[in-house]
Amino acid sequence: MQGLEQASDHDLIALVARGDHAGFAAFAALVRRHGPSIRRLARALTDDVAADDVLQEAMVDAFRGAAGFRGEGSVRGWLFALARNRAVRHRASARRAEIPDTPLLQLGVEAGYGERPERAAERLEQRDALSVGLARLPPEEREILLLRDVEGLSGEEAAEVLGLALPAMKSRLHRARLRLMAALRETGGSDGE
Amino acid sequence: MASERVVGGLTCAEVLAHLGDFLDGELAPEVLTQVRAHVAGCGACERFGGAYAAAVTALRATEREAALDAEQIASIVASAASAASAAKAG
Ligand SMILES: [Zn+2]
Repeated sequence: MQGLEQASDHDLIALVARGDHAGFAAFAALVRRHGPSIRRLARALTDDVAADDVLQEAMVDAFRGAAGFRGEGSVRGWLFALARNRAVRHRASARRAEIPDTPLLQLGVEAGYGERPERAAERLEQRDALSVGLARLPPEEREILLLRDVEGLSGEEAAEVLGLALPAMKSRLHRARLRLMAALRETGGSDGE
Repeated sequence: MASERVVGGLTCAEVLAHLGDFLDGELAPEVLTQVRAHVAGCGACERFGGAYAAAVTALRATEREAALDAEQIASIVASAASAASAAKAG
């Protein structure tokens, strides 16, 4: 099958929905294209071991649901949403912690407002600082940073994947960025002076 | 935080609240003008905004994930195939 790697996501989903031989080839192309991002989200929400299961389950869900995909949103956003649903089931036993409702000003201070905020930026020059900082965040905050900033979903797409209204998505994103700055300041050695 | 000090028509606390939209280019023009004026006249917000932007820039520059290996792709396609045949049989 030629050209599948160039086909649009929507065309691939339409092929998958046919359920014939070409459908499997299109499905493999979708898995190849989006699998790495889906696995990264799954890892952010669960752990390395569960992430491969979440990826597999979400992609099988997509295969079965292809005929019902309405084509309004992006395929990528739909796949992220399927992966979130699967990840939540894997986490059901591990009680999910609520995101603390810290006042914004306090988050700003914790992120270094007025007191060497550059420290967060300096940390970023160290290898792995970002992943270490992200690992310290609650999954919900890691997730929104991943979708919006790392994967580059639009605000509307990210809000849809997360099931939030746009203003609520923006607020969570802003808080997650501040919390990441705070985490970056806390990581590493005591060479901050 | 000097949250009560007004520069450019905004307090530092208001600038903090606008920082995300500022960086994402989603502020209304009149608010954007105010935030720019504030940052130009407030060193603390300028430095904080710079650090915030650096964190977001680093996130955006995250390397793409490694490709899935062929075996994993084959295994996912095989699960989909068996799910499909189970559905047909049922
Ligand atoms: Zn200020």
